[in-house]
Amino acid sequence: MGMLAWVMMGLAIWHFTIFLPDREWGGIVGAFLGAVIGAALFGLAVNALSIPGQDDTTILTALEAIPGALIGIAVTYAEGIRRES
Amino acid sequence: MTDRRRNLFILLAVLGLLLASAVVIAQKKMRLGLDLRGGVELVYQGKPTPQVPQVTQEALDRAIDIIRERVDGLGVAESEIQRSGRDQISVSLPDVTNASRAQQQVGKVAQLFFYDWEINVIGPEGRPDPSNRQVTDVPLPTFFDAVQRAAKRAPQADGDNTTNFQWFLFGKDRKLLAGPEEGTSAERPPAELFSELAGRRRPPGSQVLKIAPGTVVVKAERPDKFPKNQPYERFFVLDDDPELSGTDIKNPEQNFDQGPGGTGGAIVTFDFSKKGRQQFQKVTRRVAQRGQQQADPGRLPQDNFQHFAAVLDNEVVTRPFISYTENPDGIDGRGGAQISGGFTITSAQDLARLLKTGALPIKLELISQSQVSATLGKQALDQGLLAGIAGFAVVMLFLLLFYRVLGLIASAALAVYAVYFFAIIKLIPITLTLPGIAGLILTVGVAADANIVIFERVKEEIRAGRSIPSGIAAGYKKGLSAIIDANVVTIMVAFILFVLATSGVKGFAFVLGIGTLVSLFTAVLATSAILGTLSRSPLLVRPSALGAGPQKRRWSVDFMGASKWFFSMSGVILLIGALAIGGNGLNFGIDFESGTRITTGLQRPADEDQVRSVMEAAGFDDAKIQRIDDPELGRNVFQISTSTLQPDQVTKVRSGLDQRFGVGNNFSNSSIGPTFGQTVARSALIAIIASLIVIGAYMALRFEWKYAVPVLIALMHDILITGGVYSLTGREVTTSTVAALLTILGFSLYDTIIVFDRIRENVPRMPRAAFSQIVNRSMAEVLTRSLATSFCTGLPVLGLMLFGGETLKDFAFALLVGTASGTYSSIFIAAPVLTYWKEREETWRQRLEGVQRRSGGRVPAYPTATRGGEPIDVDPEAEADRRRLHRPGALAPDQPDEVSAEEFEEMVRDIAPEVEPAPKPQPAAPKRPRETARTGASRSTGAVRARPAEEKPDGRGEAQAALGRSEEEDSGGEVASAPDATAEEVDASAPKQQRAKPKRQPAKRHGRRR
Repeated sequence: MGMLAWVMMGLAIWHFTIFLPDREWGGIVGAFLGAVIGAALFGLAVNALSIPGQDDTTILTALEAIPGALIGIAVTYAEGIRRES
Repeated sequence: MTDRRRNLFILLAVLGLLLASAVVIAQKKMRLGLDLRGGVELVYQGKPTPQVPQVTQEALDRAIDIIRERVDGLGVAESEIQRSGRDQISVSLPDVTNASRAQQQVGKVAQLFFYDWEINVIGPEGRPDPSNRQVTDVPLPTFFDAVQRAAKRAPQADGDNTTNFQWFLFGKDRKLLAGPEEGTSAERPPAELFSELAGRRRPPGSQVLKIAPGTVVVKAERPDKFPKNQPYERFFVLDDDPELSGTDIKNPEQNFDQGPGGTGGAIVTFDFSKKGRQQFQKVTRRVAQRGQQQADPGRLPQDNFQHFAAVLDNEVVTRPFISYTENPDGIDGRGGAQISGGFTITSAQDLARLLKTGALPIKLELISQSQVSATLGKQALDQGLLAGIAGFAVVMLFLLLFYRVLGLIASAALAVYAVYFFAIIKLIPITLTLPGIAGLILTVGVAADANIVIFERVKEEIRAGRSIPSGIAAGYKKGLSAIIDANVVTIMVAFILFVLATSGVKGFAFVLGIGTLVSLFTAVLATSAILGTLSRSPLLVRPSALGAGPQKRRWSVDFMGASKWFFSMSGVILLIGALAIGGNGLNFGIDFESGTRITTGLQRPADEDQVRSVMEAAGFDDAKIQRIDDPELGRNVFQISTSTLQPDQVTKVRSGLDQRFGVGNNFSNSSIGPTFGQTVARSALIAIIASLIVIGAYMALRFEWKYAVPVLIALMHDILITGGVYSLTGREVTTSTVAALLTILGFSLYDTIIVFDRIRENVPRMPRAAFSQIVNRSMAEVLTRSLATSFCTGLPVLGLMLFGGETLKDFAFALLVGTASGTYSSIFIAAPVLTYWKEREETWRQRLEGVQRRSGGRVPAYPTATRGGEPIDVDPEAEADRRRLHRPGALAPDQPDEVSAEEFEEMVRDIAPEVEPAPKPQPAAPKRPRETARTGASRSTGAVRARPAEEKPDGRGEAQAALGRSEEEDSGGEVASAPDATAEEVDASAPKQQRAKPKRQPAKRHGRRR
C-alpha cells in the first residue's frame, strides 16, 4: 500500500512539470520516470528499504514521496541542461 | 464476387445463423452458475505427501477423478470440478445446501491405515511401551501435549512413513495458532505456517514445534459412553508404521451390525485384496500372540487382549481387540472385516463411499468456500437480467436518436448479436454467472462502439463530399482499423483475465472475449451488408437520413493549449487520491484479506447486538455485524464478517442464528482462506502488469513505440485515479473490481486508439503543421466520436449500476469511474504527452520553429493559411463540407479508393493549403492504388495521379505528393508561397535543414507558450 501511495504521489507531482520549460532529459516522459522512480526510491530509503503495508500506511507515508519526486524531476532537469550545453 | 452478391451472401448467412440460433435457444438448457441458482463452491489447494512429493498435473487429474466419483455419489447434478491455476481444484455443487457435509465428502483425503496398536503408541520416553496401559489406553488430554511428545522423536527412516516434517505454531496459551504445515526441510518451517498471522509475524511467546517423519499424532476415538453433545479432543502419538492401507481393501459398504452380539448399529464392512488378506492375517496373528504372551493369570483374558486400529485421516475410527482365545492364529481376512464406531447411517454410507473411491493422491487444503442460497441466486439472476435489458434498451435508444437510419440498422445488429450470443452461451455451454452477465452487458456497449466509430466515419466521408454508397464503403474501410485495434486489445485483456483470474471473474472474461468476437461479426460485417444493400434505396437518398447533414458545430478548442489546466486538474485529483490512500488505505474485501462473510435474512426481528451475542456464544467474538437493506431477503437482513471459518463452524453459526431468530433458506456465506487471498492478490497484480505490457507492445507494433508510452502513462493514470476514488469513497475492492479495472484498460484504449489513429492519418496530410496543431485538428475531428463511444459504453454500465444488485453495482462503479477517467485521459493526458514528446524530435522542432517564425512567435492552435491577407483556418473537411452539402446527387463510384474527376479536382483544391507546390505533377505510382485516395488521385479517371503519401513524420513523402497549391500565402506552416517563407525554408523535411541542426532554444511546453 505504501508503494501505491508513493507512486500515486509521484505521478501527481509529475503533472505539474507541465509548467516547467521542456528541458528534462527525456522530456516529459523523462520527468515522469524521474518523479515516479524518485518517489519510490525516496520512500524506500526513508522506510529502511521496506514497503509499509496496509496497516502501516499513513498520510505521512504519502507525503514522504514528495521530496523524492521533486529530486527525481530535478535530476532529469539538471541532466537535460547538462546534455544541452 | 460483386458487392451486391457479397452483401446478399452475408445477409443470408446472418439469417441462417439466426434460424440456427433460434433452434439452439429453443432446445438447449441454460446452465446457471452457483451465484445465480444457489449451491456450494469449494476451492482446494493441492499439497504434497511423502508418497507424492510434488503436486503434479497427473496427481491433480487423479484427484479430480476421485472427487468427481465422490460428487456423483452425493447425487449432485451438473456439478463442475475443474483445475484452477497451478495447484488448485474448484468444485461447484449446485443446489447443495450442506456445505459442511459436501466439504467432508469432497476434500477428505480418506487415507486409511491399519496399525498394530500397542507396539506403535509412543510413551513419554519417546518410544513405544506396549505393556504400559497408561500409554496405550489413555490418550493425552491436549493436542499440544501430543505434539510436544511427538516432537521429541528423531526421524524414523523406515520407508513407509505417511508424512513429511510437520510444523505447528502454538500460542502462549498452548492453543494451536497454525499448522500442521508439511515441509521437507528439517530446519526451517514453511512460509505458509505464518501466512494467516497478522503481518506474517510470530506472536510473542508463541512456539514452533516440529514432528519428524515417522511419528504421527492421531485423534483418539470417542468413547461410547462420552456425552454426545460435548466435543471429545484426546490424542495419541504413534510410530508411523502402518500394517495395511486403504489400497488393501475392497468392496466397502454400509451395513448393520447384526452378527452375534451385534448392536444393530450402522457399520462399514469391506473385503481385503489378496495381499491385504494375507497381511491382515499375519498382523492379527501377531497381535493375538502378543496378547497371549503378555497374559497375566491374575487378570481377565480381555484385559490382556491387544488391539488393532483403523485410522482414517489421522483420526482413530475404531480400535478393536484381537482375542487370542478365539483367534489364536489371527483372523482370516477372507470373511472381510468391519469398522464400527458410533456411526449414523449417513456417516457410515459416507465412509463407505470414501473408501470405495479411494484415497486422494495428494492432500487437499480447503482455501475458499462459498455457499449461495437459492433465493439470493434467483434475486441476482433477476437483477442481472433487468440490468441487461435496461442497458440494451438505452443503447438502442441512443443509437436511434443519434444516428437515425444508421441507428436503426445498428439496433437490428445489436438484436442479432443478442440472439447469437444467447445461442452460443447455451450451445457451448457457458456457465452463466453474475460477472458473466456483466460481461454480456458490456459487450453490448462494445458492439455499439464499433458501430459508432464506423457511422461517424461514414458521416465524415459523406460530409466531405462522397456519395452515400461511396461514403458508406469508405467509412467501413477506414473505420475498421481502429475497431480491430481496440477489439484486439479487449480480447487480449479478456484472455489475460481468463488465464489468471478466479472462477467468477473467469466467467466474465470468457463472456467478454467471446462477445467481442461475435460483436465484430454483427456490428461490422452484418451492418455493412445491410447498409450496402440499402445504400441505393430511397431510404438513404439524403445525407440527413444518416445524420450526415450540415455540421452545425465543430470543435475549435485549443486542446494542447488547455492541457496545462487539465494536467493540473489530474495532478490535484491524484494528489488527493494519494493522500486518501495514505490516510484511508483501500478497503480490501475478503477476496484479498481472507475471512468469512455471511449474509442472511432473519425471520424474526433482531438488532446488531442480538446477532453479535449469537456470534459470541458460538465463539466468534471478532465478528462485525452490519444490517443491510435488501427487501427481497426480508426486513432483517444482516451481513456478518469474521475471520475465516471452516464449514462446520459456519454450520454452527447458522444453527445458532436459526434457533434464535429463524434463518430458513436465506443463508449465504463465503469463506476465503489466506492462501487463496494471496493467490487472488498476486494474480490481480500479474494480470494488471501483463495487460499493460501487452497493450504497450501492441500499440508499439501498430503505431510506433513513442505512441505506446503515453498510452501506458494514461492507463496508469486511470488505474490510480480509480484507486484514489475507491479510497476516498471507502468502497470495497474485490476481485470484480480488479476485473472491472482491467476492462477499463481496454475501453480507455478505445478512445486513445481513435485519437492516435486520426493523428497518424493526419500527419501526412499536414506536412507543414506543428505536431500540436495536428493533434488539435485530430482531436477536434474525433472528439464527438470519442465522447459518443464513451457515452455508449457508459449507458449499459449505468444499467448495471441502477438495476444490477449489490455485486454488479460494485462492478459498475469501478467501470463508471474508469470509463470517465479513460475518456478524459485519452484526450487530455495521452495526446498532450505524445505531443510534448514528439516535438522534441528534431523534425518536429524545426516545424514548430517554422510555424513560430511565420506567426510572429506564437503557434496558432490549428494549422492556418492566409487568404487575402487574413489568416484562415485550414480545415479541408470543413471546406468540402461547405461546398458539397448542397450539391445534390454527388457522383462517385462505390469504391472508397476511387473518386470522380470532379471530386478529385475539388480534393486537390481542398488540400492545397496544406501542401507545398510540387515542381510538377508526378506520374501516378501504379502499384500503390490503395493510397491514392488520401492524396486525391483518381484511379477511375486515370488522368492524374499522385505519388502516394507515405506516413513519415518528416512529411517528405507528403510534400512530394502535392499536386496543386493554394493561391494564398502561408502563415501557419502549411502553405509555402509567401515570399519570406519559401518552400525550402519552411519545409521541415528539407534535407539541408535536417542536417544543419540548430542550437536548441530553451524549449517550453505549449501550455506555457500560449
